[in-house]
Amino acid sequence: MPLWRLFKDIVNPVSAALGLSIDDTLPLSLSQHGSPPILHLYIFKPSAIVGKYQDINAALRLDRCRQREIEYNRRSTGGGTVIMGPKVVALGLGISLDHPGLKGGINGIFESLSTVLMDALQNLGIKAGFRPKNDLEVGGRKIAGLSASLETEKAILFHASLLVDFDIPLMLDIMHQPPLKLSDKGYSCFSQRITTIKEQLGCDIDMDTVVAAIEKAFIQRFDVSFEVVEPDTWEKKSIREFTTTRYTNPDWIFSHKHPRSSMGVSAVKTPGGLLEIYLALAGNTIEHIMITGDFFSTTKDINLLESSLKWTSAKREKIEEHLSEVWRNEIIYGVSFDTLTEAILQAKENLITA
Amino acid sequence: MATIKGYNMPDELYYHEEHSWARVENGKVTVGMDDMFQKEAGDIVFVDLPDEEDEVEQGEICGKIQSRKWIGKLCAPVSGEIVEINEELEDDTSLINEHPYGKGWILVIEPSDLESELGNLMHGDALIPFVDQEIKRTEEERAKA
Repeated sequence: MPLWRLFKDIVNPVSAALGLSIDDTLPLSLSQHGSPPILHLYIFKPSAIVGKYQDINAALRLDRCRQREIEYNRRSTGGGTVIMGPKVVALGLGISLDHPGLKGGINGIFESLSTVLMDALQNLGIKAGFRPKNDLEVGGRKIAGLSASLETEKAILFHASLLVDFDIPLMLDIMHQPPLKLSDKGYSCFSQRITTIKEQLGCDIDMDTVVAAIEKAFIQRFDVSFEVVEPDTWEKKSIREFTTTRYTNPDWIFSHKHPRSSMGVSAVKTPGGLLEIYLALAGNTIEHIMITGDFFSTTKDINLLESSLKWTSAKREKIEEHLSEVWRNEIIYGVSFDTLTEAILQAKENLITA
Repeated sequence: MATIKGYNMPDELYYHEEHSWARVENGKVTVGMDDMFQKEAGDIVFVDLPDEEDEVEQGEICGKIQSRKWIGKLCAPVSGEIVEINEELEDDTSLINEHPYGKGWILVIEPSDLESELGNLMHGDALIPFVDQEIKRTEEERAKA
Protein backbone atom coordinates (compact mmCIF):
# COMPACT_ATOMS: atom_id res chain seq x y z
CA MET A 1 0.00 0.00 0.00
CA PRO A 2 1.58 3.33 -1.04
CA LEU A 3 2.56 5.66 1.77
CA TRP A 4 1.57 9.30 1.65
CA ARG A 5 2.87 11.94 4.01
CA LEU A 6 0.58 13.88 6.30
CA PHE A 7 1.39 17.27 7.81
CA LYS A 8 -1.04 17.99 10.61
CA ASP A 9 -1.49 21.30 12.44
CA ILE A 10 -4.77 20.88 14.22
CA VAL A 11 -3.86 21.54 17.84
CA ASN A 12 -2.12 24.85 17.36
CA PRO A 13 -3.57 27.14 14.69
CA VAL A 14 -0.98 28.41 12.24
CA SER A 15 -0.53 31.90 10.87
CA ALA A 16 -1.79 32.53 7.36
CA ALA A 17 1.80 33.06 6.21
CA LEU A 18 3.02 29.75 7.60
CA GLY A 19 0.01 27.69 6.46
CA LEU A 20 0.19 29.03 2.91
CA SER A 21 3.98 28.66 2.75
CA ILE A 22 3.70 25.01 3.74
CA ASP A 23 1.03 24.47 1.10
CA ASP A 24 3.10 26.05 -1.67
CA THR A 25 5.93 23.72 -0.74
CA LEU A 26 3.80 20.61 -1.25
CA PRO A 27 3.82 20.39 -5.07
CA LEU A 28 7.45 21.54 -5.15
CA SER A 29 8.45 18.76 -2.81
CA LEU A 30 6.85 16.26 -5.18
CA SER A 31 8.39 17.62 -8.35
CA GLN A 32 11.83 18.64 -7.08
CA HIS A 33 12.41 16.61 -3.93
CA GLY A 34 10.93 13.24 -4.79
CA SER A 35 8.26 13.22 -2.12
CA PRO A 36 5.14 11.08 -2.40
CA PRO A 37 1.84 13.00 -2.24
CA ILE A 38 1.53 15.19 0.85
CA LEU A 39 -1.72 16.07 2.60
CA HIS A 40 -1.69 19.08 4.90
CA LEU A 41 -4.62 19.30 7.30
CA TYR A 42 -4.63 22.32 9.57
CA ILE A 43 -6.43 25.23 11.09
CA PHE A 44 -5.54 28.84 10.61
CA LYS A 45 -5.46 31.60 13.13
CA PRO A 46 -8.45 33.81 12.29
CA SER A 47 -7.66 34.94 8.76
CA ALA A 48 -9.19 36.28 5.58
CA ILE A 49 -7.49 34.89 2.49
CA VAL A 50 -8.11 36.12 -1.01
CA GLY A 51 -7.57 34.19 -4.24
CA LYS A 52 -4.39 34.71 -6.20
CA TYR A 53 -5.89 37.14 -8.68
CA GLN A 54 -8.30 38.99 -6.42
CA ASP A 55 -8.11 42.65 -5.53
CA ILE A 56 -7.57 42.45 -1.76
CA ASN A 57 -8.65 46.05 -1.19
CA ALA A 58 -11.90 45.45 -3.04
CA ALA A 59 -12.58 42.16 -1.28
CA LEU A 60 -11.75 43.03 2.32
CA ARG A 61 -12.24 45.85 4.77
CA LEU A 62 -8.64 45.78 5.84
CA ASP A 63 -9.19 48.36 8.59
CA ARG A 64 -11.75 46.07 10.20
CA CYS A 65 -9.42 43.10 9.83
CA ARG A 66 -6.70 44.99 11.66
CA GLN A 67 -9.04 46.19 14.40
CA ARG A 68 -10.31 42.67 14.98
CA GLU A 69 -6.84 41.15 14.65
CA ILE A 70 -7.84 39.06 11.68
CA GLU A 71 -4.84 38.21 9.54
CA TYR A 72 -5.18 38.73 5.81
CA ASN A 73 -3.17 37.28 2.98
CA ARG A 74 -3.22 36.03 -0.62
CA ARG A 75 -3.05 32.35 -1.52
CA SER A 76 -1.50 30.94 -4.68
CA THR A 77 -4.66 29.17 -5.87
CA GLY A 78 -7.64 30.71 -7.62
CA GLY A 79 -11.14 31.60 -6.52
CA GLY A 80 -12.59 34.06 -4.06
CA THR A 81 -12.15 35.11 -0.45
CA VAL A 82 -12.31 32.56 2.34
CA ILE A 83 -12.60 33.30 6.04
CA MET A 84 -10.56 30.79 8.01
CA GLY A 85 -10.31 30.14 11.72
CA PRO A 86 -10.47 27.55 14.46
CA LYS A 87 -13.67 26.00 13.13
CA VAL A 88 -12.72 25.69 9.48
CA VAL A 89 -10.55 22.77 8.35
CA ALA A 90 -7.95 23.86 5.81
CA LEU A 91 -6.69 21.25 3.40
CA GLY A 92 -3.66 21.51 1.15
CA LEU A 93 -2.73 18.61 -1.11
CA GLY A 94 0.31 18.23 -3.31
CA ILE A 95 -0.27 15.47 -5.84
CA SER A 96 1.04 14.53 -9.28
CA LEU A 97 -1.28 15.16 -12.19
CA ASP A 98 -0.94 11.56 -13.31
CA HIS A 99 -1.47 9.99 -9.90
CA PRO A 100 -3.54 6.78 -10.15
CA GLY A 101 -7.13 7.45 -9.19
CA LEU A 102 -6.99 11.11 -10.15
CA LYS A 103 -9.15 11.81 -13.16
CA GLY A 104 -7.70 13.74 -16.06
CA GLY A 105 -8.17 17.37 -16.95
CA ILE A 106 -9.18 20.31 -14.83
CA ASN A 107 -12.72 19.09 -14.32
CA GLY A 108 -11.57 15.56 -13.59
CA ILE A 109 -9.16 16.69 -10.89
CA PHE A 110 -11.80 18.77 -9.13
CA GLU A 111 -14.27 15.93 -9.44
CA SER A 112 -11.84 13.36 -7.99
CA LEU A 113 -10.88 15.46 -5.01
CA SER A 114 -14.45 16.61 -4.41
CA THR A 115 -15.44 12.97 -4.22
CA VAL A 116 -12.93 12.41 -1.43
CA LEU A 117 -14.36 15.30 0.57
CA MET A 118 -17.89 14.06 -0.06
CA ASP A 119 -16.76 10.68 1.29
CA ALA A 120 -15.34 12.45 4.34
CA LEU A 121 -18.65 14.19 4.97
CA GLN A 122 -20.43 10.90 4.41
CA ASN A 123 -18.18 9.39 7.10
CA LEU A 124 -19.65 12.02 9.41
CA GLY A 125 -23.19 11.24 8.32
CA ILE A 126 -23.65 14.17 5.94
CA LYS A 127 -24.68 13.66 2.33
CA ALA A 128 -23.00 16.33 0.23
CA GLY A 129 -22.90 16.83 -3.52
CA PHE A 130 -20.55 18.49 -5.99
CA ARG A 131 -21.80 21.84 -7.19
CA PRO A 132 -20.20 23.03 -10.35
CA LYS A 133 -18.02 24.87 -10.67
CA ASN A 134 -15.99 24.21 -7.55
CA ASP A 135 -17.98 23.86 -4.36
CA LEU A 136 -19.47 21.13 -2.23
CA GLU A 137 -23.02 21.65 -1.11
CA VAL A 138 -25.62 20.17 1.16
CA GLY A 139 -29.20 20.88 0.17
CA GLY A 140 -28.05 23.63 -2.17
CA ARG A 141 -25.92 25.37 0.47
CA LYS A 142 -22.16 25.56 0.31
CA ILE A 143 -20.23 23.56 2.91
CA ALA A 144 -16.77 23.52 1.31
CA GLY A 145 -14.86 25.50 -1.28
CA LEU A 146 -12.17 24.13 -3.59
CA SER A 147 -9.42 25.68 -5.66
CA ALA A 148 -6.21 24.59 -7.34
CA SER A 149 -3.08 25.75 -9.06
CA LEU A 150 -0.61 24.09 -11.37
CA GLU A 151 2.54 25.47 -9.74
CA THR A 152 5.06 23.10 -11.26
CA GLU A 153 5.23 21.05 -14.43
CA LYS A 154 3.57 17.93 -13.13
CA ALA A 155 2.23 18.48 -9.62
CA ILE A 156 -0.72 20.53 -8.47
CA LEU A 157 -1.61 22.27 -5.27
CA PHE A 158 -5.20 21.63 -4.33
CA HIS A 159 -6.86 23.72 -1.64
CA ALA A 160 -10.10 23.14 0.21
CA SER A 161 -11.80 24.72 3.19
CA LEU A 162 -14.41 22.72 5.05
CA LEU A 163 -16.83 24.58 7.29
CA VAL A 164 -17.26 22.96 10.68
CA ASP A 165 -18.79 26.12 12.10
CA PHE A 166 -18.84 29.59 10.64
CA ASP A 167 -19.05 33.14 11.92
CA ILE A 168 -21.28 34.95 9.40
CA PRO A 169 -21.37 38.26 11.33
CA LEU A 170 -17.56 38.30 11.25
CA MET A 171 -17.60 37.70 7.50
CA LEU A 172 -20.11 40.50 6.98
CA ASP A 173 -17.96 42.83 9.05
CA ILE A 174 -14.62 42.23 7.35
CA MET A 175 -15.70 41.73 3.74
CA HIS A 176 -16.99 44.50 1.55
CA GLN A 177 -20.74 44.24 1.15
CA PRO A 178 -23.10 46.02 -1.20
CA PRO A 179 -24.38 49.18 0.56
CA LEU A 180 -27.97 48.72 -0.46
CA LYS A 181 -31.01 46.88 0.79
CA LEU A 182 -29.10 43.63 0.71
CA SER A 183 -26.91 44.70 3.57
CA ASP A 184 -29.98 44.94 5.83
CA LYS A 185 -30.62 41.31 5.29
CA GLY A 186 -27.02 40.30 4.82
CA TYR A 187 -27.12 37.65 7.51
CA SER A 188 -30.07 35.77 6.08
CA CYS A 189 -28.71 36.12 2.55
CA PHE A 190 -25.50 34.38 3.51
CA SER A 191 -26.99 31.91 5.98
CA GLN A 192 -29.22 30.66 3.16
CA ARG A 193 -26.19 30.06 1.01
CA ILE A 194 -23.81 28.52 3.52
CA THR A 195 -24.12 25.58 5.86
CA THR A 196 -21.73 23.90 8.28
CA ILE A 197 -21.02 20.45 9.62
CA LYS A 198 -22.27 21.60 13.01
CA GLU A 199 -25.56 22.76 11.56
CA GLN A 200 -26.02 19.59 9.55
CA LEU A 201 -25.33 17.36 12.52
CA GLY A 202 -27.31 19.52 14.91
CA CYS A 203 -24.52 19.40 17.48
CA ASP A 204 -20.91 20.37 18.09
CA ILE A 205 -18.20 18.15 16.73
CA ASP A 206 -14.52 18.26 17.60
CA MET A 207 -11.97 19.01 14.92
CA ASP A 208 -10.09 15.74 15.47
CA THR A 209 -13.17 13.79 14.42
CA VAL A 210 -13.56 15.83 11.24
CA VAL A 211 -9.89 15.48 10.38
CA ALA A 212 -10.02 11.73 11.02
CA ALA A 213 -12.96 11.48 8.61
CA ILE A 214 -10.95 13.29 5.93
CA GLU A 215 -7.93 11.03 6.44
CA LYS A 216 -10.12 7.95 6.22
CA ALA A 217 -11.70 9.18 2.99
CA PHE A 218 -8.29 9.64 1.35
CA ILE A 219 -7.12 6.23 2.56
CA GLN A 220 -10.20 4.56 1.10
CA ARG A 221 -10.35 6.46 -2.16
CA PHE A 222 -6.65 6.23 -3.07
CA ASP A 223 -5.88 2.98 -1.25
CA VAL A 224 -2.95 4.50 0.66
CA SER A 225 -1.75 4.83 4.21
CA PHE A 226 -0.46 7.96 5.93
CA GLU A 227 2.71 8.70 7.80
CA VAL A 228 2.28 11.73 10.04
CA VAL A 229 5.49 13.70 9.73
CA GLU A 230 6.97 17.16 9.98
CA PRO A 231 8.41 18.93 6.92
CA ASP A 232 12.02 17.84 6.39
CA THR A 233 15.04 20.14 6.11
CA TRP A 234 14.61 20.75 2.36
CA GLU A 235 10.95 21.54 2.84
CA LYS A 236 11.59 23.83 5.82
CA LYS A 237 13.98 25.86 3.68
CA SER A 238 11.32 26.13 0.98
CA ILE A 239 8.71 27.15 3.56
CA ARG A 240 11.00 29.91 4.85
CA GLU A 241 11.57 31.15 1.30
CA PHE A 242 7.85 31.29 0.53
CA THR A 243 7.22 33.09 3.82
CA THR A 244 9.80 35.71 2.87
CA THR A 245 9.10 36.09 -0.82
CA ARG A 246 5.32 35.78 -0.70
CA TYR A 247 3.39 35.67 2.51
CA THR A 248 5.11 38.42 4.50
CA ASN A 249 5.88 40.41 1.37
CA PRO A 250 3.54 43.38 0.72
CA ASP A 251 4.22 43.09 -3.03
CA TRP A 252 2.60 39.66 -2.97
CA ILE A 253 -0.17 40.38 -0.48
CA PHE A 254 -1.23 43.63 -2.17
CA SER A 255 -0.43 42.44 -5.69
CA HIS A 256 -1.94 44.52 -8.48
CA LYS A 257 -2.05 41.55 -10.85
CA HIS A 258 -5.77 41.07 -10.86
CA PRO A 259 -8.74 41.99 -12.99
CA ARG A 260 -10.50 45.24 -12.20
CA SER A 261 -13.07 44.69 -9.45
CA SER A 262 -16.51 46.21 -9.50
CA MET A 263 -19.90 45.69 -7.92
CA GLY A 264 -23.32 46.31 -9.40
CA VAL A 265 -26.91 46.07 -8.26
CA SER A 266 -30.32 46.14 -9.84
CA ALA A 267 -33.88 45.95 -8.60
CA VAL A 268 -36.68 45.00 -10.99
CA LYS A 269 -40.41 44.71 -10.33
CA THR A 270 -41.72 41.50 -11.81
CA PRO A 271 -45.07 39.68 -11.73
CA GLY A 272 -43.46 37.37 -9.17
CA GLY A 273 -42.34 40.18 -6.90
CA LEU A 274 -39.28 42.36 -6.50
CA LEU A 275 -36.15 40.85 -8.02
CA GLU A 276 -32.82 42.15 -6.72
CA ILE A 277 -29.43 41.31 -8.15
CA TYR A 278 -26.05 41.89 -6.57
CA LEU A 279 -23.11 41.31 -8.83
CA ALA A 280 -19.39 41.32 -8.06
CA LEU A 281 -17.27 41.42 -11.18
CA ALA A 282 -13.61 40.58 -11.72
CA GLY A 283 -12.95 42.25 -15.06
CA ASN A 284 -15.79 40.96 -17.18
CA THR A 285 -16.19 37.77 -15.15
CA ILE A 286 -18.91 37.20 -12.57
CA GLU A 287 -17.03 36.49 -9.36
CA HIS A 288 -20.10 36.47 -7.18
CA ILE A 289 -23.81 36.92 -7.70
CA MET A 290 -26.78 37.06 -5.37
CA ILE A 291 -30.32 36.72 -6.67
CA THR A 292 -32.71 37.86 -3.99
CA GLY A 293 -36.02 39.65 -3.46
CA ASP A 294 -39.52 38.78 -2.34
CA PHE A 295 -40.36 36.35 -5.13
CA PHE A 296 -41.10 32.68 -4.50
CA SER A 297 -38.44 30.06 -5.12
CA THR A 298 -36.32 27.65 -3.10
CA THR A 299 -32.88 28.25 -1.62
CA LYS A 300 -31.61 25.28 -3.59
CA ASP A 301 -32.85 26.62 -6.92
CA ILE A 302 -31.56 30.12 -6.31
CA ASN A 303 -28.16 28.74 -5.34
CA LEU A 304 -28.24 26.58 -8.46
CA LEU A 305 -28.86 29.59 -10.67
CA GLU A 306 -26.18 31.61 -8.91
CA SER A 307 -23.64 28.79 -9.14
CA SER A 308 -24.23 28.39 -12.85
CA LEU A 309 -23.08 31.96 -13.34
CA LYS A 310 -20.15 32.17 -10.94
CA TRP A 311 -16.74 32.46 -12.61
CA THR A 312 -18.28 32.85 -16.04
CA SER A 313 -18.27 35.74 -18.47
CA ALA A 314 -20.78 38.54 -17.85
CA LYS A 315 -21.57 38.85 -21.56
CA ARG A 316 -25.23 38.45 -22.49
CA GLU A 317 -24.75 35.36 -24.60
CA LYS A 318 -22.75 33.64 -21.87
CA ILE A 319 -25.28 34.56 -19.18
CA GLU A 320 -28.03 33.12 -21.36
CA GLU A 321 -25.99 30.02 -22.14
CA HIS A 322 -25.19 29.25 -18.50
CA LEU A 323 -28.64 30.07 -17.15
CA SER A 324 -30.27 27.88 -19.78
CA GLU A 325 -28.23 24.90 -18.53
CA VAL A 326 -30.12 24.93 -15.22
CA TRP A 327 -33.29 26.85 -16.07
CA ARG A 328 -36.69 25.23 -15.90
CA ASN A 329 -40.17 26.62 -16.01
CA GLU A 330 -41.12 28.57 -12.88
CA ILE A 331 -37.80 27.97 -11.19
CA ILE A 332 -38.54 31.46 -9.91
CA TYR A 333 -42.30 31.84 -9.83
CA GLY A 334 -43.39 34.83 -11.92
CA VAL A 335 -39.88 35.66 -13.16
CA SER A 336 -39.04 34.78 -16.73
CA PHE A 337 -35.67 33.76 -18.14
CA ASP A 338 -35.48 37.02 -20.06
CA THR A 339 -36.37 39.14 -17.04
CA LEU A 340 -33.65 37.53 -14.96
CA THR A 341 -31.10 37.95 -17.75
CA GLU A 342 -32.00 41.61 -18.15
CA ALA A 343 -31.81 42.21 -14.40
CA ILE A 344 -28.31 40.74 -14.32
CA LEU A 345 -27.22 42.87 -17.26
CA GLN A 346 -28.74 45.92 -15.58
CA ALA A 347 -26.70 45.20 -12.42
CA LYS A 348 -23.61 45.01 -14.59
CA GLU A 349 -24.30 48.52 -15.85
CA ASN A 350 -25.36 49.94 -12.48
CA LEU A 351 -22.02 49.93 -10.70
CA ILE A 352 -21.72 50.98 -7.08
CA THR A 353 -18.95 51.81 -4.66
CA ALA A 354 -18.52 49.52 -1.68
CA MET B 1 -8.53 24.92 -40.89
CA ALA B 2 -8.57 21.44 -39.33
CA THR B 3 -11.12 20.00 -36.98
CA ILE B 4 -9.85 16.99 -35.05
CA LYS B 5 -12.38 15.11 -32.93
CA GLY B 6 -14.45 18.25 -32.55
CA TYR B 7 -11.52 20.52 -31.72
CA ASN B 8 -10.57 23.34 -34.03
CA MET B 9 -6.82 22.99 -34.57
CA PRO B 10 -5.74 25.12 -37.55
CA ASP B 11 -3.15 23.18 -39.51
CA GLU B 12 -0.89 26.14 -40.28
CA LEU B 13 -0.01 26.50 -36.58
CA TYR B 14 2.59 24.75 -34.44
CA TYR B 15 1.50 23.29 -31.09
CA HIS B 16 3.26 22.70 -27.78
CA GLU B 17 2.11 19.67 -25.78
CA GLU B 18 0.91 22.01 -23.02
CA HIS B 19 -1.61 23.46 -25.49
CA SER B 20 0.01 26.72 -26.46
CA TRP B 21 0.17 27.41 -30.20
CA ALA B 22 2.63 29.34 -32.33
CA ARG B 23 2.00 31.22 -35.56
CA VAL B 24 5.07 32.30 -37.51
CA GLU B 25 4.63 35.62 -39.29
CA ASN B 26 7.39 37.83 -40.63
CA GLY B 27 9.98 36.18 -38.44
CA LYS B 28 7.98 36.68 -35.24
CA VAL B 29 5.88 34.17 -33.34
CA THR B 30 2.38 34.92 -32.11
CA VAL B 31 1.32 32.72 -29.20
CA GLY B 32 -2.04 31.68 -27.79
CA MET B 33 -3.86 28.74 -26.21
CA ASP B 34 -5.54 26.10 -28.34
CA ASP B 35 -9.17 25.11 -28.60
CA MET B 36 -8.69 21.95 -26.53
CA PHE B 37 -7.42 24.05 -23.64
CA GLN B 38 -10.16 26.66 -23.75
CA LYS B 39 -12.90 24.06 -23.97
CA GLU B 40 -11.51 22.14 -21.00
CA ALA B 41 -10.76 25.25 -18.94
CA GLY B 42 -14.05 27.02 -19.49
CA ASP B 43 -14.41 30.78 -19.09
CA ILE B 44 -11.03 32.43 -18.60
CA VAL B 45 -11.00 34.87 -15.68
CA PHE B 46 -7.51 36.32 -15.77
CA VAL B 47 -4.24 36.04 -17.64
CA ASP B 48 -1.08 36.79 -15.71
CA LEU B 49 1.35 37.82 -18.42
CA PRO B 50 5.08 38.36 -18.44
CA ASP B 51 6.49 41.79 -19.31
CA GLU B 52 7.62 42.88 -22.72
CA GLU B 53 11.38 42.42 -23.14
CA ASP B 54 11.37 39.35 -20.87
CA GLU B 55 13.40 36.44 -22.23
CA VAL B 56 11.76 33.00 -22.27
CA GLU B 57 12.99 29.51 -23.05
CA GLN B 58 11.03 26.97 -25.07
CA GLY B 59 8.70 25.08 -22.71
CA GLU B 60 9.17 27.57 -19.86
CA ILE B 61 6.09 28.64 -17.93
CA CYS B 62 5.83 32.28 -18.97
CA GLY B 63 2.33 33.07 -17.75
CA LYS B 64 -0.59 31.86 -15.67
CA ILE B 65 -4.19 31.54 -16.73
CA GLN B 66 -7.07 31.43 -14.28
CA SER B 67 -10.35 29.81 -15.20
CA ARG B 68 -12.89 29.44 -12.41
CA LYS B 69 -10.76 28.47 -9.39
CA TRP B 70 -8.05 26.73 -11.39
CA ILE B 71 -4.77 28.40 -12.22
CA GLY B 72 -3.02 26.81 -15.18
CA LYS B 73 0.11 27.59 -17.11
CA LEU B 74 1.10 29.21 -20.38
CA CYS B 75 4.22 27.52 -21.76
CA ALA B 76 6.38 29.37 -24.26
CA PRO B 77 6.33 27.34 -27.50
CA VAL B 78 9.64 28.87 -28.60
CA SER B 79 12.57 30.69 -27.00
CA GLY B 80 13.15 34.40 -27.44
CA GLU B 81 12.19 37.85 -26.28
CA ILE B 82 8.61 38.86 -25.62
CA VAL B 83 8.01 41.86 -27.82
CA GLU B 84 4.26 42.36 -27.49
CA ILE B 85 1.43 41.31 -25.23
CA ASN B 86 -2.27 41.46 -26.03
CA GLU B 87 -3.51 44.33 -23.89
CA GLU B 88 -7.11 43.71 -24.91
CA LEU B 89 -7.06 40.67 -22.64
CA GLU B 90 -6.85 43.00 -19.64
CA ASP B 91 -10.43 44.04 -20.29
CA ASP B 92 -11.81 40.95 -21.93
CA THR B 93 -10.33 37.54 -21.22
CA SER B 94 -13.27 35.86 -22.94
CA LEU B 95 -11.48 36.60 -26.23
CA ILE B 96 -9.39 33.49 -25.50
CA ASN B 97 -12.57 31.43 -25.35
CA GLU B 98 -14.30 33.06 -28.28
CA HIS B 99 -11.38 33.58 -30.65
CA PRO B 100 -8.51 31.37 -29.47
CA TYR B 101 -6.62 31.80 -32.76
CA GLY B 102 -7.67 35.37 -33.51
CA LYS B 103 -8.36 38.21 -31.09
CA GLY B 104 -7.54 35.88 -28.21
CA TRP B 105 -3.82 35.75 -29.04
CA ILE B 106 -1.73 36.27 -25.92
CA LEU B 107 1.77 37.45 -26.79
CA VAL B 108 4.38 37.77 -29.52
CA ILE B 109 7.92 36.40 -29.26
CA GLU B 110 10.97 37.47 -31.24
CA PRO B 111 12.41 33.97 -31.58
CA SER B 112 16.07 33.25 -30.95
CA ASP B 113 16.29 29.74 -32.40
CA LEU B 114 13.17 29.33 -34.46
CA GLU B 115 14.31 26.89 -37.07
CA SER B 116 15.48 24.17 -34.73
CA GLU B 117 12.74 24.71 -32.14
CA LEU B 118 9.84 24.45 -34.57
CA GLY B 119 10.90 20.84 -35.00
CA ASN B 120 10.06 20.22 -31.33
CA LEU B 121 6.46 21.35 -31.84
CA MET B 122 3.55 19.46 -33.38
CA HIS B 123 2.32 20.47 -36.78
CA GLY B 124 0.01 19.19 -39.49
CA ASP B 125 -0.75 15.48 -39.41
CA ALA B 126 1.40 14.99 -36.29
CA LEU B 127 -1.37 16.68 -34.36
CA ILE B 128 -3.92 13.94 -34.94
CA PRO B 129 -2.25 11.30 -32.72
CA PHE B 130 -1.66 14.00 -30.06
CA VAL B 131 -5.33 14.96 -29.91
CA ASP B 132 -6.30 11.27 -29.94
CA GLN B 133 -3.86 10.59 -27.14
CA GLU B 134 -5.09 13.51 -25.02
CA ILE B 135 -8.69 12.38 -25.40
CA LYS B 136 -7.78 8.76 -24.71
CA ARG B 137 -5.73 9.67 -21.64
CA THR B 138 -8.61 11.61 -20.15
CA GLU B 139 -11.08 8.84 -20.91
CA GLU B 140 -8.81 6.17 -19.44
CA GLU B 141 -8.23 8.15 -16.28
CA ARG B 142 -11.93 8.75 -15.92
CA ALA B 143 -12.66 5.08 -16.41
CA LYS B 144 -10.14 3.82 -13.88
CA ALA B 145 -11.01 6.38 -11.21
